[in-house]
Amino acid sequence: MSRVVWAAWRLGVAAVRGPAGRPLSQATTGGAEEGGAEGGGSGSGSREAVERLVRAHPVVVFMKGSPAQPLCGFSSAVVQILRLHGVEDYNAHDVLQDPDLRQGIKNYSNWPTIPQVYLNGEFVGGCDILLQMHQNGDLVEELKKLGIRSALLDAEKDQDKK
Amino acid sequence: RGFSSQSEGEARVTRVLREKFPRASSIRVVDISGGCGAMYEIHIESEDFREKRTVQQHQMVNQALSEEIKSMHGLRIFTSTPKP
Repeated sequence: MSRVVWAAWRLGVAAVRGPAGRPLSQATTGGAEEGGAEGGGSGSGSREAVERLVRAHPVVVFMKGSPAQPLCGFSSAVVQILRLHGVEDYNAHDVLQDPDLRQGIKNYSNWPTIPQVYLNGEFVGGCDILLQMHQNGDLVEELKKLGIRSALLDAEKDQDKK
Repeated sequence: RGFSSQSEGEARVTRVLREKFPRASSIRVVDISGGCGAMYEIHIESEDFREKRTVQQHQMVNQALSEEIKSMHGLRIFTSTPKP
C-alpha cells in the first residue's frame, strides 16, 4: 500500500477530489469547517490534526499528487530535490484528496501555497525555498540535524576517489 | 532584453510592494501566467530582509500582498538584500 494511501486511510478521510485551478482566496479567510470534531473530512483541517501530521515524521510534505505521481510542477520539484538527497522515506500528503487539509495546512503555516515542506515539525518553506536550500548547501545541513545523511555527500566522496 | 510595458496586474502588485517596502532598492514583478494574472514571480531586494531567514522574508511579502494573493493561483518569491 503506498504511503499516501496509508496516511489517508489512517486519517479516515474519504478520497475526495477537489476542484483544480482553485484561487488562493481561501488562504486568508476562515478556518476548517465547523461541526464534526471527530475524524471525518471536517476535522482533518483543524489545527490539532495538522499539528499531528507535521510532527509524525522528521520530513513531512504537503503536496499535490503523490511522490510517485506529482500533479503539479512545484510539488514535483520538491519530490525531485528530496530524491537527489536520497530522501525517499517521508510522509507526503496529497491535498487534492482532502479540501479541509488543503485549507487547514495553509491556515496552520499562514502560507498561501502548496507544496509545503516541514522538517522536524517546523515549516521550512515551499518549492523555491527548498531549491535555494539545495543550491546553497543548507538542505544538507538541515537533513544532518535530523540524522539524515544526504546522498549528495556520498556522491561527492565517490568523485574525490577518482 | 527590450523594454516591455507592464501588465495592469504587474503594475498593481508592484505598486503595493513599493508602498509596503519603501526601503526596497529593487522590485520586479513578472506575470508568469501569460498575462492572466494567475501566477506571478516577485523579485525584491531590500534592507528589510537583512538578518532574516528566507521563510520569514517570504512571509513579509505574503503579508504585504495578502489581498492581491487572494485572486492568484500561485506566486514565486525571490528576496535578497542589497550588497553592503
